[in-house]
Amino acid sequence: MIDFHFDEEQQLIHETVTSFAAEQVRPAAHDAEESRTIPQSLVDQAWELGLIQGTIPEAYGGYAQEPSSAVSGAIVAEALAEGDLAIALHLLSPRLVVDPVLRLGSEEQKQELLPLYCGEKFCAGSAAVLEPSWDFSFANVGTTAKRNGGDYVLDGTKCFVPLASSAARMVVYAQDEQGVLGAFVVDTGTPGLEVGEREKNLGLNGLETFEVTLSDCRVPATRRLGSDATGMLRRSRIALSAMAVGVAKASLAYAIDYAKEREAFGVKIAQKQSIAFMLADMATETDAAQLLNWEAAWKTDQGEDAAREVALARYYVNDAVLKVADNGLQVLGGHGFVRDHPVELWLRNARGFAMFEGAASV
Amino acid sequence: MKILVTAKRVPDPESTIKVNSSGDGIEEAGIKWVVNPFDEIAIEEALRVKEAQGDAEVVVVSIGPSEAQEQLRTGLAMGADRAILVTGENLDTSAVAKILVKIVEKESPDIVITGKQAIDDDSNEVGQMTAQLLGWPQATFISELKIADDKSSAECTREVDGGMETISVPLPALITADLRLNEPRYASLPGIMKARKKPLEQIEAASLGVDTTPKIVIKSMAPPPAREAGRIVESVDELVTALQSEAKVL
Repeated sequence: MIDFHFDEEQQLIHETVTSFAAEQVRPAAHDAEESRTIPQSLVDQAWELGLIQGTIPEAYGGYAQEPSSAVSGAIVAEALAEGDLAIALHLLSPRLVVDPVLRLGSEEQKQELLPLYCGEKFCAGSAAVLEPSWDFSFANVGTTAKRNGGDYVLDGTKCFVPLASSAARMVVYAQDEQGVLGAFVVDTGTPGLEVGEREKNLGLNGLETFEVTLSDCRVPATRRLGSDATGMLRRSRIALSAMAVGVAKASLAYAIDYAKEREAFGVKIAQKQSIAFMLADMATETDAAQLLNWEAAWKTDQGEDAAREVALARYYVNDAVLKVADNGLQVLGGHGFVRDHPVELWLRNARGFAMFEGAASV
Repeated sequence: MKILVTAKRVPDPESTIKVNSSGDGIEEAGIKWVVNPFDEIAIEEALRVKEAQGDAEVVVVSIGPSEAQEQLRTGLAMGADRAILVTGENLDTSAVAKILVKIVEKESPDIVITGKQAIDDDSNEVGQMTAQLLGWPQATFISELKIADDKSSAECTREVDGGMETISVPLPALITADLRLNEPRYASLPGIMKARKKPLEQIEAASLGVDTTPKIVIKSMAPPPAREAGRIVESVDELVTALQSEAKVL
């Protein structure tokens, strides 16, 4: 009944992404955070891995042989984020458009949009989900979409919109007049869509995020994807939880290595019970978070309603990653507080997970 | 043009190796298995030759346990066209070379590229033995490969003590890859997905009609003795005295 082995394809994907994350992403993480940019050469190199094209069926220019699985998606997201979260979010940003189009889009929409993300070069994508209001939740999206002839008119303010200045289009989530959550593919040049100044965040400084204002922004009705987009956000939450697990894994591994190296009072600190207990707690939290999220992903792939599992995983993972990253910093003691070690970055990044989809998103 | 490359299944170089309880091999439980890193370089070079030549086929071969299928899939995911797995147990380098000869005779490639050595037993023998048994020219420890325009020969740069040596070998030839030949690519997701549909032929070593009785038997295996902790001396004189009287190296 239960099997935690990757299949052969997942195993290969895991190996490729893990190696890429360790050899290319992690070494670039510190500079990306400090300089607030991600090198284009790294983005180009990642594009060749086909992380996006591999989820798009052949009929639309990609390589996928079968519908992309949430488990495989979680494996990729987790492994990349173990390298660096900001870079992982940047590299996977095209999925913010590709996934909703794949899941909700009509045949015409797929034909039109998907091939744009199968080209030779990285094609940034974006999604406008969050809003800067105290009572934001998916059941209560403030941005409105009013039908007007052949168009929808979008109004509202969005924040934490990644790559809004470089992506050619973004998926805007807004509530229609019937109170249904709709997903709209909006070109960033559309009149009425204004990309504000780049946000300054606690962590994730390599990733460009912006406030986006929509005022009287007219989008053809043909750009609405399906009708109810709630299920879509459930899938993106699995990917987000997977990334949090990746950050926790990075922190745990770094703390273990450090504890085995660092000596105090004549022994390696890993042999001190206070440290060993902390590492054991971190490992338990990390595995528990991973298993909860895998269950949510697995259930989604079975075509079952995974609302409960996804919510439990998000709730648990948010706390777990913060606790693990915090302990990871503590294991390094004073060294953890300086920016030469990545643990403080992981703690700052971990804090973001509780924010990404709205505080009350469960 | 046809290129044959090897992909040995070896423990991940990052793994912690322990001697097993019977003392004649390593503890295999919990070990992650990978393509021998030098073979990975060989595969990469074969793919680069293919990309440069346009019309070429890359066949990747592994000789070992049936689990070596995983390593062949890695080769296919990187871009090789098809794979051959020869299954057998307890095969030493001489047996592997003899099996490889049979596969080469069957496939008649223009070039065989192997890693210069496998990182598990570090024998550095299979390439040389295979070339010898085939009566083929060989170029070992290659750091650069150039195929002539008429495809009749290959110019190979070898890393030798104190410098570089460039030699020309007529094709067909056997080449062994050194570390600096290239940097292997990552298997892409599209490559991984395509790999599933590529042919993987399985052959039992016993069916090839070669004598695979091992010439080398591992009697026992032991970890190297643990290094003793160093000592900080007060002066150069004390160091010299210690090196003379205790370490007896001066």
